[in-house]
Amino acid sequence: MDIQLGLAGKDFVILLADNQITNSILTIKHDEDKIYKLSEHVVMSVSGEPGDSSNFSEYILGNTVLYNIRNQHELSVDSCAKFTRKELANALRSRSPYQVNYLIGGYNTISQKPALYRIDYLASIAKVEFAAHGYASYFCYSIFDRMKKPDLTQDEALDILAACVNELTRRLVINHSSYTLKLVDSNGVRVINGEELLKRTSAK
Amino acid sequence: MSYNGTAIVAMTGKNCVAIAADKRLGQQFLTVDMDFQKIFPITKKTYVGLPGLATDVQTLYKSNMYRLNEQRDIEPKAFAHMVSSTLYEKRFGPYYIEPIVAGLDKNNNPYICGMDLLGCMDVAHDFIVAGSADENLKGMCENLWEADLEPEDLFETISQALLNAVDRDALSGWGGVVHIITPNEVITRHLKARMD
Amino acid sequence: MARRYDSRTTIFSPEGRLYQVEYAMEAINHAGTVIGMLCDDGIVLAAEKQQSSKLLESSLDGEKIYEVNENLIAGVAGITSDANLLLNEGRLIAQNYLQIYDDNIPVEMLVKRLCDIKQGYTQFGGLRPFGTSFLIAGWDEHVGFQLYQTDPAGNYSGWKATCIGVNSSSAQSLLKQEYKSKSEPSSSDQQGATGTENASDIADDDTPFSLDSALELTCKVMTKTLDSSKISNENLEFATLTLHNGVPKVHLFKSNETDALLKKYVPEKTTPKE
Repeated sequence: MDIQLGLAGKDFVILLADNQITNSILTIKHDEDKIYKLSEHVVMSVSGEPGDSSNFSEYILGNTVLYNIRNQHELSVDSCAKFTRKELANALRSRSPYQVNYLIGGYNTISQKPALYRIDYLASIAKVEFAAHGYASYFCYSIFDRMKKPDLTQDEALDILAACVNELTRRLVINHSSYTLKLVDSNGVRVINGEELLKRTSAK
Repeated sequence: MSYNGTAIVAMTGKNCVAIAADKRLGQQFLTVDMDFQKIFPITKKTYVGLPGLATDVQTLYKSNMYRLNEQRDIEPKAFAHMVSSTLYEKRFGPYYIEPIVAGLDKNNNPYICGMDLLGCMDVAHDFIVAGSADENLKGMCENLWEADLEPEDLFETISQALLNAVDRDALSGWGGVVHIITPNEVITRHLKARMD
Repeated sequence: MARRYDSRTTIFSPEGRLYQVEYAMEAINHAGTVIGMLCDDGIVLAAEKQQSSKLLESSLDGEKIYEVNENLIAGVAGITSDANLLLNEGRLIAQNYLQIYDDNIPVEMLVKRLCDIKQGYTQFGGLRPFGTSFLIAGWDEHVGFQLYQTDPAGNYSGWKATCIGVNSSSAQSLLKQEYKSKSEPSSSDQQGATGTENASDIADDDTPFSLDSALELTCKVMTKTLDSSKISNENLEFATLTLHNGVPKVHLFKSNETDALLKKYVPEKTTPKE
């Protein structure tokens, strides 16, 4: 029942994820941050099997950080995504595949463009303008399709995400009390207060 | 094959070949991407269509090594055999793809070849189809294809075959792309289609 | 005295020297000259082929300069068989990077990886070191055009213009005199290598240093460095690396292109006989 949304705008990318960890009918944790910061300009949100997701994500995080230290430059968001896909694809054919879905977003400081990649547990990758995983996708793709436009501003993007959250709160059987939002642009990663988004929702 | 949904078709013409694909990437009935690349250039005169996922990077890597070591581009026939053996290497845990290779050889003779997921090759003189819409495509091609079509006529034929095939397949469509490989250039055109 | 420390690559002499490694470097000083030169819009590599016999058939167009990857070319001085091995390794490294990251390998990373291989043979297990030096010219989006020199010990250094092989010191000083570049803090200034910046003390002017003038200077230095009086495609090889719409482009000169180039820049002596 994880919620994972992503949106690429004119010069930024926003990822949204819920904060819950669940086991069967129990909610174990309410304040988990599921959006990893891979480098100054790349973030990655994860959903799937709880053990797999933290284990594999930390592996990707570790390797990305190692690359950055070794080579004195940041691995671009595009290369991060391809690297993650490759590792996931290799794992898929091993004895212990990882059941994890990713959204990788970031700002390519060289080409000066934002990029959002959607990677699912079968290791298929797609570069997209907006993305969702899990049950949220059944609610949110139609909202994205309706509200998206070229050169989206940050304010408009937050409005779209607010509309998504609104719909999820209204129609999904599970209710999420809080969300984590991270925005990446040329200045790096910024956390957006989830409460702000919820306020937008109630204002509508 | 029907998880993501695909339609890829290749046809021969007179000193030219065409390869075309739809643009949808889905997860069963959910459409994830409407501009997904399924055909990849390997050399100037050889293209490969991959209905399914994954091996694209690997084959590219092998053909790059070929180019560097031999100081010339790989021929479509050699490339097809390379893809075939790459697939068979994974005989007991195959890649779920059925690649199509289309290209012109060094004498500019058309070469098209399809494969199953284990790498069994099917070299045809007329057309090759693959993907979730393969039966629809086969029917269309059977009716529309003629021998020795010129590039523009071939474009029309393959486009009509693709568009009409995906219209009757729920899992593919959402636009298409056509590459016509001629001795001098590759013409790439994008097709608008029903987006539903 | 030194004999006792000669036979093994991995043992220091009392003076703190590794004789085998030094001998390997000496081997390079007898090999055909290779010149590399950075300019504003690309890199030029030129290499001398030492002919052993008139009867020898050259199998390929190039035997001194090779493409390693879309964005990398390497000029070789030293034992060709050793170089072939390293070159193949380099190609695999580059393709492996492409496979993982879907991007061309950063130049310094490849140079470092090749040098790690070379270094291994100066430390482990009684094998002989590689008897090859490379000039590696490359482009990546992080640093831009770069020119590196490697030696058998596994050291590498970044240069604006440099030379390896026979007569390299005279060619080097010639380059030092003649080479000029715009003082832009890009490319070679950022290279974190141990080497000294050869041409950094050259007076700068504002005229751009184009690929053509780099080719011209390369031809000039090459003619003065070469032992033999006649200069043709039979004993020279050229290659360039340039950018076309943000994509690196390797150009290994065919023999007729080499002749055309020589005709243009070395008018008085060139008598290419076909």
